[in-house]
Amino acid sequence: MDMEERTVTKRQLGMFLALVGIAGFVVILLIDVVDAGRQGGIGPAQRFALALMAATAILGLTLIPGGDAPA
Amino acid sequence: MNGARSRIHIVLMLAASGALLFSFLIYLLYTANLLAFPYDYDQGEGFEVYDTVLFSRGELPYRDTEVYPFYASNYPPLFHVMAAPFVWFFGPAHWYGRLLGFLGSLVSAGAIAYAVYRDGPGRRWIAILSGLAFLSSNFVYHIGPLYRQHTMMVTFETLAIVTLASAFPRRDRRGIAAGLLLLICAGYTKQLAAISAVAALAWMFLRAPLRAIRWSIGFAAVGMGVFLWLHIASGGQWWIQAILANVNDFIVEQALGLFILWFKLHGLLLVPAALLVIFELYCDRLSIYGVWFVFAALFGGVAAGAWGAGDSYFVTSVAGACILSGIVFSRIIARDWRMRGLLGEAALSKLCHVGMIVVPLLYLGYARATLKMPTDGVFEPIATALGVEANAQARFYDSASYLVGGYARIGYFLGAEDHAAGAEIVRLINETDAPVLSEEAGFSLAAERDVVTNPTQLRNLDRAGLFQGDQLISMINRREFGLIILRALFYPPSVLEAMGQRYEHRETIHMNGFDYLILYPKGKESQ
Repeated sequence: MDMEERTVTKRQLGMFLALVGIAGFVVILLIDVVDAGRQGGIGPAQRFALALMAATAILGLTLIPGGDAPA
Repeated sequence: MNGARSRIHIVLMLAASGALLFSFLIYLLYTANLLAFPYDYDQGEGFEVYDTVLFSRGELPYRDTEVYPFYASNYPPLFHVMAAPFVWFFGPAHWYGRLLGFLGSLVSAGAIAYAVYRDGPGRRWIAILSGLAFLSSNFVYHIGPLYRQHTMMVTFETLAIVTLASAFPRRDRRGIAAGLLLLICAGYTKQLAAISAVAALAWMFLRAPLRAIRWSIGFAAVGMGVFLWLHIASGGQWWIQAILANVNDFIVEQALGLFILWFKLHGLLLVPAALLVIFELYCDRLSIYGVWFVFAALFGGVAAGAWGAGDSYFVTSVAGACILSGIVFSRIIARDWRMRGLLGEAALSKLCHVGMIVVPLLYLGYARATLKMPTDGVFEPIATALGVEANAQARFYDSASYLVGGYARIGYFLGAEDHAAGAEIVRLINETDAPVLSEEAGFSLAAERDVVTNPTQLRNLDRAGLFQGDQLISMINRREFGLIILRALFYPPSVLEAMGQRYEHRETIHMNGFDYLILYPKGKESQ
């Protein structure tokens, strides 16, 4: 295949999304640890972001078995 | 049996077309009603008129708000530049910007229909219904015929995505350049288009990473070049007004409420659109429409939760949903489905038979879900027949109602009393020779007075710690303004406090569903 036209595969996309989801989830949780002065614990916006990151990670993991098929 | 099914299909398709055309008729009448109204209908329209006036004089609206007339805009320039030639011929007015917005929405609908026809299996009727479905959305209806840049941004976005969908896989350099240029136009119409730009570049990267990176560098260079030019030409005010001051509080309840409303109104198209994205993700290749739809729904939806944002932030995702659902429906009816290996010929045939009945019913249901109409006059018998009554204003039904924060409380038709109320406010302005501070610029423009301040921009600057307001507050303290007209009290607290100390509320004028408070200097008789 033409080097220029090599596409991202489902496995690569899946790994990327899983990584983003997991890293994002951890970073959002760490907000409360780093910014210890914050009041009220995990707020609604944070919960929404956590759910989004978890969904992204799960989506990524389910794409990995897709292998070399183009994304 | 097949003949009977075809006849039922045609009857249902005609019913769906009739329902969506009725929605389009209401949209046309609403547009005509607004074009005749010479004052602000939606808060902020007058400031966009004034931006256009400044551009028509070759001036930029990114200005220092510490000196008279304390005016600045946070909007990118393109929409106002497009409207500027009208100022040369017709002077400052609302109608041409509203007309441009309306025409922009028609172009978007046309592009949606074209995309469904070209990238689906060529079902013309479904393509037309997809375009009409876009125009039927309550969110599109709201913003379409306003003097706001949002609709034109969506038009540029839609044209860009439809162009890139075909040009990038074919390595059509001219088409790709045109698509990316349209995205830059969208971005310099409104900043929110950054979401569509990221979606388009991400899809290009998925398809051909090396080529995508090369094009992205050119795209970024052109975009940054324009940005730098605006920054330098405005003496740094572009950066302050359009970027630094353009950050608002995030209201979680507003974002969630709008997400739920978006789904309630458009769910019958959103679900098929989402199913196509899932199919592409696991069984096919992601289309640019799928990536665009997901990015616009997710990030546009979240952005809708910002103070000052609203339902219009979902319009891009509605455009994406109309294209994707149109392609799904076309494929089902045409049996042009890339699932033969999964489902088999017999299952596909059954799917087609069911689809011939269900697809028009979905469009019919969608037309009902997005219904909005006047309930008086010639529409009264239709409203009665449909079983709807006024729920948004005294004479208007809106299926979305006005209950969700961030859902624009507009859409109803204006009457003679609104025109008279606007004329009365202009008359009051004309009674004084002193400068007038109006929270809506439309009145000042109609009275041919200076447009003094842009309250929401002052509020944004104040919240970002970028507004002192000494000269403005000093003018208020010296009671130099002959009249102050307030509607939503969007000014910074320090300005409102000074107004409260030096001015008194003597009159309230009801126009366009809102109360306009007329304040006069304390201790001075109104003329």
